[in-house]
Amino acid sequence: MTVSAPRYVGRRMLRVEDPGLLRGEARYVDDVDVPGALHVAFVRSPHGHARIHRIETARARESPGVHAVVTGEEIGERGRLVTTIPTRPDEVETATRTLLATDKVRHVGDPVVAVVADSRYLAEDACELVEVDWEPLRAVVDAEEALSAGAPLVDEDLGSNRFAHIEFEQGDVDAAFERAAHVFSKRFHFGRTFAAPLETRGVVARYDAGAGELCVWTSTQFPHLVRTFLAPLLELPESRVRVVAPAVGGGFGLKVQLFVEEVLVPMLALELRRPVKWIEDRHEALIASGHAKELICDLEAAVADDGTFLAFRGRYVGDSGAYQAHPWTGLIDPLCAASFLPGQYAIEAVRYEVDLAMTNKCPSSAYRGVGWTPGQAAREAMIDDIARALGRDPLELRIKNTIAEEGGPSLTGCSYDGGSYVRAQRRAAEMLGYEALRERQRGLREEGRYLGIGFSPFVEQGGWAAGVARANGFPGYAYMDSVGVTMEPDASVTVRSGFHSQGQGHETALAQVVADQLGVPVERVRVSQGDTAGSAYATGTYGSRTAVVAGGALLHATGEIREKLFAIGAHMLEASPDDLELTEGRISVRGAPGSSIDIADVAATAYMGADRPTDIEVSLTSTRSYDPPQTYSNACIAAVVEVDVETGVVDVERIVAVEDCGTILNPMIVDGQIAGAVGQGLGATLYEAVPYAADGSPLAATLREFTYPTTLEAPELEIDHIETPSPVTANGAKGMGEGGLIGAPAALVNAIADALSPFGISIDFTPLRPEAILSLLAEPRSYEAP
Amino acid sequence: MSAPRPQEESLVRLTVNGSERRGVAEPRLLLSDFLREELRLTGVHVGCEQGECGACTVLLDGEPIRSCLMFAVQAQGADVRTVEGIPAEDGGLDRLQRAFQEHHGLQCGFCTPGLLLTARALLAENLQPSRAEIAEHLAGNVCRCTGYTGILDAVEAVCDGSDEEGAE
Repeated sequence: MTVSAPRYVGRRMLRVEDPGLLRGEARYVDDVDVPGALHVAFVRSPHGHARIHRIETARARESPGVHAVVTGEEIGERGRLVTTIPTRPDEVETATRTLLATDKVRHVGDPVVAVVADSRYLAEDACELVEVDWEPLRAVVDAEEALSAGAPLVDEDLGSNRFAHIEFEQGDVDAAFERAAHVFSKRFHFGRTFAAPLETRGVVARYDAGAGELCVWTSTQFPHLVRTFLAPLLELPESRVRVVAPAVGGGFGLKVQLFVEEVLVPMLALELRRPVKWIEDRHEALIASGHAKELICDLEAAVADDGTFLAFRGRYVGDSGAYQAHPWTGLIDPLCAASFLPGQYAIEAVRYEVDLAMTNKCPSSAYRGVGWTPGQAAREAMIDDIARALGRDPLELRIKNTIAEEGGPSLTGCSYDGGSYVRAQRRAAEMLGYEALRERQRGLREEGRYLGIGFSPFVEQGGWAAGVARANGFPGYAYMDSVGVTMEPDASVTVRSGFHSQGQGHETALAQVVADQLGVPVERVRVSQGDTAGSAYATGTYGSRTAVVAGGALLHATGEIREKLFAIGAHMLEASPDDLELTEGRISVRGAPGSSIDIADVAATAYMGADRPTDIEVSLTSTRSYDPPQTYSNACIAAVVEVDVETGVVDVERIVAVEDCGTILNPMIVDGQIAGAVGQGLGATLYEAVPYAADGSPLAATLREFTYPTTLEAPELEIDHIETPSPVTANGAKGMGEGGLIGAPAALVNAIADALSPFGISIDFTPLRPEAILSLLAEPRSYEAP
Repeated sequence: MSAPRPQEESLVRLTVNGSERRGVAEPRLLLSDFLREELRLTGVHVGCEQGECGACTVLLDGEPIRSCLMFAVQAQGADVRTVEGIPAEDGGLDRLQRAFQEHHGLQCGFCTPGLLLTARALLAENLQPSRAEIAEHLAGNVCRCTGYTGILDAVEAVCDGSDEEGAE
């Protein structure tokens, strides 16, 4: 039994999802048409930290159009979230969170009262009439201060603001530091930002008493896990809960968690027996969804006289904000950063320490590249400092210390499955015209212009599942990720995927895989996704996983169907299945071109043909799962910038990205992921911020203060690929959605530091807005990061 | 804090995508909510209600405006065009929409209707803009997915005609 070579995988195919999106026909959660829906607005805390003495709701209840006004006291313990890392009971605390704050609020934006009314306008009117007797408390907004004695307690039940403390050591770190010719240290404070998808969060819930089904539409990346977490909180069997993620207007990791609003809205729908809807507004998104990536990294490197890296030490202080995101906790940043401390360097020993502090800020959660982004920025900035101190070329110093192309285990438990770790760096330098660029840099400096070049080579986990989770310090439970494939009677194919897409083009890329495996035209394959009632169970789309995990599960499922097609075809052709081949929609006997049959006839026979075989089970459907071993893409991003030392403005002249993600399913989608993630890296490094005043007041309450990058900041981006298929995954893919945001900040930081090196400046924070650059130039190293 | 007073509703008549439409609006109802809720034109996406993101952009008498910064009653008698009213050519997409698809100028699609309408306004007045002029014109529309590369490529291709040379 053979199948012809792939026709679709690897091709730049236009996306089948685009026409509906381009015509404005796609339905996002706010577009779901649920007649009679009531609308929710929340009274949220205006204080960073305050005791609640009394909540007066009588006037709000009398406001026009109001159906219910619900306080935390009325909800009590119902639906509360319990969050921890269960495999680390001695190192990680357990957080409990009620759905609405009762005794005190912990951050500006903390929800206190839910008002349900005929329209959002009327619900917001009534929110204005809720009176809360607040007693403001001293707030803490700095992670290190939160860990110090005498800091106000964010979660009084825990008795400390230290939510987690984790230590790890592998190899003889002390010996390496003793014998090192040089020891370098670097402190880096990566700034707080957030994923900020253009579509905010939103939830619609409807209880259908006749069908006995609660349906929840929510803008999420993992509908099945929302259902698994939600059902017990509402005391319903999962089989009675249906979660639908409609079109999702961007997620980037923010929507890989269960939010309290996702529990509250269905709870209200169940109680009121009316459909209920909540669409987050932008102000809520900025102060109460999920921030990310703020991390203080204190790193040390032991370096031999010849520039060999011997060992790294790191202390990471994360800032979870006021609550722990469910289920990951705020460790998603610091622990992932620490686990990747060695990066792609061949060191002999490593030690890290992780602390996670709670503060009176918006909770932090995952954002594309999680803690790998700040960890990469800190390590690579240190390496550039080392190169400058030793008078070495930063690229050559990196290449000297890079692991071999065949990969192998890292000291922190990552199993690199081989790649182009050195070649990617060489290729990036070649694309830049590195030697000539250095010449140009020297020339410009003589004119008083400051050009800088920065490199950022990295490895990126792909296909997050049990193995990779364990290597990052998270529980390595088995992951259940399956897809269902059905060949219909007319030989068209339906794929039921639990990997929901938020712009990654799964409807196209997964169809390419299936069309090749079943020998049907790609237009005949439909990928249905996002609805737990119609999808096979999967844990969702995050962690660069779908090409690897869904890709692998699809190979298994289509393989089973193909075997049945061959068995039925053999029966129809009166041949042995071993002699058959599947080419372009026909099953034929090898070497006998006249003897062939259309796959549509085979499918029709399977369903209703009188002459189908009686000795096999003929259903052309298969649901299979896949839990891949660890796999890692690698890449090198390099940036060229010019810094205007009069204005502090950084002009990003060029960015090159050389990416090796193994087998590519659709190069257009891969390039789009790189471009988008690099754009976000640019934003995080140069523009975006969600800072806080000392009393816990958020200083970015509108997009004007947050400052997304716009078309005017879009860099010249050049992308190239090296394709080293993974030897361990089912389809050779390695996963690559996050790399641009892991690698670009470090490249930009290093380019800026390189540009400003004549001034004796090394960079140790982001964001590098013009005022920050000017402060650095005025007082090198004394600038306080926001 | 005074109790909210019920607000008098009025009838808003306007031309939307070439048809006479009417709907009821209280004075504070935003044009974006009116288009979405009253007229069910859900291709109008609301991203910020602060006038910063551009997702809710529609053409009002030919000019791109943010429908979240305008009350429905202010659009009385106006000619409004939303993404649903972009005239479809063969295959159901117009030239600009096809270029967005060809150049991967969209991923999640949430910002796309606003970008298409903003770009249309540019194409209506300047057929030969430079890439820098295109970027300047689109700078009020945020896209969080693409890094803008594909968007700029798409609009540029329509402007210089390269989209009609070698379509795949």
